[in-house]
Amino acid sequence: MIEALGFFATSWIDPSLLVLTALGTLAGIYVGAIPGLSVTMAVSILISFTFKWEVNAALALIAGVYVGGVYGGARSAILLNIPGAPSAIATALDGYPLARKGLAGEAIGLSTVMSVIGGLIGVLALALAAPAISDIALQFNSRDYMLLGIIGILLVGTLSGESFAKGAFAGALGVLVGMVGLDPMTAEARFTYGSIDLMGGIPYIVAMIGFFGVAEALVQLENVGKTAVRQAISRIVPAWRDVRRYLRVGLRASGIGTLIGALPGTGGDIAALLAYDDARRSTKHPETPFGQGAKEGLIAPEAANNAAVGGAFIPMLTLGIPGDAVTAIIIGALFIHGLKPGPLLLSETPHLFWFMVGNLTLANLFLLVFGLTGVRIFTRIVECPRAILFPLIVVLSAVGAYAIQNNPVHIYWTLGFGVLGYLLKKYGFQVAPIILGVILGPMIDANYRRAMIGAREDLGQFLLDFVTHPISCILSLALILMLLAQTPAWRWLRVRLGRASGSG
Amino acid sequence: MKPPSDLRPGERVFALALLGVSLLAFQQAYGISGFSGLTTGGVIPMLAAGVMVVSGLVILRDALARPRPARPSLRETLRFLVPPQLVLFVALLVAYGAAIPGLGFLPASGVFLFLSIWMLWRRGVLWAAGITALSVTGVYVVFRLVFQVVLPSGTVWP
Repeated sequence: MIEALGFFATSWIDPSLLVLTALGTLAGIYVGAIPGLSVTMAVSILISFTFKWEVNAALALIAGVYVGGVYGGARSAILLNIPGAPSAIATALDGYPLARKGLAGEAIGLSTVMSVIGGLIGVLALALAAPAISDIALQFNSRDYMLLGIIGILLVGTLSGESFAKGAFAGALGVLVGMVGLDPMTAEARFTYGSIDLMGGIPYIVAMIGFFGVAEALVQLENVGKTAVRQAISRIVPAWRDVRRYLRVGLRASGIGTLIGALPGTGGDIAALLAYDDARRSTKHPETPFGQGAKEGLIAPEAANNAAVGGAFIPMLTLGIPGDAVTAIIIGALFIHGLKPGPLLLSETPHLFWFMVGNLTLANLFLLVFGLTGVRIFTRIVECPRAILFPLIVVLSAVGAYAIQNNPVHIYWTLGFGVLGYLLKKYGFQVAPIILGVILGPMIDANYRRAMIGAREDLGQFLLDFVTHPISCILSLALILMLLAQTPAWRWLRVRLGRASGSG
Repeated sequence: MKPPSDLRPGERVFALALLGVSLLAFQQAYGISGFSGLTTGGVIPMLAAGVMVVSGLVILRDALARPRPARPSLRETLRFLVPPQLVLFVALLVAYGAAIPGLGFLPASGVFLFLSIWMLWRRGVLWAAGITALSVTGVYVVFRLVFQVVLPSGTVWP
C-alpha cells in the first residue's frame, strides 16, 4: 500500500514530471479547444517525438494532453459555439446559450469544476476497478483475447459510424493494414510485394497520424473561411452555492461517463451525449429549459467526458484493449516503451500503473488551475486562422511520421492514409475502427493461431472450446449478441417484446 | 449517427470501388498461403478481406436502396468530393512529398507552408512569408533542437 502511494506520488514530487504534466494539461486545453485540432491527432503526433524519452516523462506529458484536451473542447463550445472536440458537442447545446446571456464566465467556471470532479471520479474508478479486473483477466487465454480484440473493433464500428457495415469494413481494413509485413511466426511475406520497406510492416503511428491528422485537416479545409463570434466574459470562479446545487447531476454524469469510458470502443463523445440525455430526463424542473442555457445540460456532458478518461484506461491497462481512440494510441506508446498492457502489467509493473493513476489525478488538479485562469488570452489563440493551422498540421504530421524510424517512406504513407481517410470520412465512414484494427489485428492473428494450435488444428475442437470454457462462452455470447443486434431480426424482436409488454 | 436520407454524390461508385478493392484484397490474401492449413499466415488476412467483401456488399446494397434526389452531374460530384481548394491543397501535398528527398525537409516544408498559407489565407505574400518563416523556425527549434529529431536532408540542398 505504502509502496503504491510512493509510485502514485512520483510525478507529484519530481519537478520535471510535475512541469511536464502541467505543460501537457495546458497544451491539451488549447489543442482540445482549437476546432480542427483533436486530442487524438495531438497525442499521435506527440508519441512519435517522445518515444525516445524515459517512459514516465512521455506518459506524464501524454496524460496531461489527454485530460486537458477532453476538457478544452468545452471552452470553444461555450464561447464560440464550435465544439473543439466531438466530446464537447453536447456541451455546446446549453453552454453557448448561457454565453449569449452574458454568463460565459460562469459557464466556463462551472464546466471546469465539474470536469475536474468527473475526472477525479474516473481516476478513482480506475484505481479501484483495475486491480480486480486484472485478477479476472489473468484467467483469460488466447481464445479470449482473440474474442476481446474482435469485440473491441466491432464495438467502435457499431457505436461510432453511420452503419454497422461501414464500421465492420473499416475495422477489417485496419486488420489488413496491420497484417502487412513479415509474419512474426513463419516469416512469410504478407502484402509486401517484394518491397523491403513493407517487410517491417506499417507502423500504426504512421496510420494514426495519416487518418487522424492529415485526413482531418483535409476534411476541415471546407471550413477554412469560417469566422467565429466571440462572447463577453464575466466572473469565472463559480459560486459555491451553484457547485453544491448541481453536484448531484455532476456525480450522476460522472458515473455514466466512467462506465461508458470503460467499455472498449466508447469514449468521451458518447459518454457526454448519454449523460446529457440522462440529465434531460432526470431533471424534472430545470431553472431554464434544456437547449436554452440549462446549467444541468452544461454540467452533465462535461463531468461525463472527463470521467470517461479514467474509465478508458481500465480496459487498456487490464486487458490491453483500448477504451477509445486516444487510449488506442497510448497503448501504442506503451508498446514502444517495451511495456505490455494487459493483466500482467499490474503484477509485473505496478509502479507504472500507480504512476499513471497519480499522474491523471495531478493532471486533473492542474486542469482546475488552468481552467479557471487565462480565459481572455485563450479566445485570441483559439481564433488562430485555419488557413495557417491546416498546412502546419500537415508539416507536423510529416515530421511525426518520419521521426518514428527515420524513414522518409513513412511520410508518403501518412499522406496517402490522409487522402484515403478523407474519402472514407466524406462517405460516412469513421476512421477510429481502422486504427483499432491496425493495433488489434496482429493481436487477434497471434492469439487465433495460438488457440488453434492448442486445439491441435482441429476445427471441431477449436469451436467446442468456445462453449466449454466459461470466459470464452460469455465473450462469445457477447459477440453473438452484438452481431444479432445489427440484424433486422433483432428489431423485429424488440417491436414484438415492446408490444407484448404494452398490452400486458 | 444515422445515415443521411439522401445519397451523396458519387456514393454508389465509391461503394462499388470499395467492393472491387475488397475482392482484390481477398485474392491477395488467398495468395499468402491459400487454404493449406488452419494456422498459416494467410488465415486472418483472408478472414479480414472476407469481412470487407461482405460488408462492402451490404454498403453497396444500402447505397442502391437509398433515394437519389436528382441525378447529380459530374460537376456536382466533383464539387462535393474534390472542391477546387482541396485539389490544389492535395496537389501541393503530393508536390511536398516529392520535393522532400531533393530539397530536404525544412526547405520543402517552407515552400509548402508558404504556398498553402498564401493560397488559403489570401492576405498577401508578405503575411504568408512571415508566418512561414516563423513556423519553419519553430519546427526547427522544437523538433531539431528540443526533441532532437534528425530531419530528412535533401540531395540538392543537404
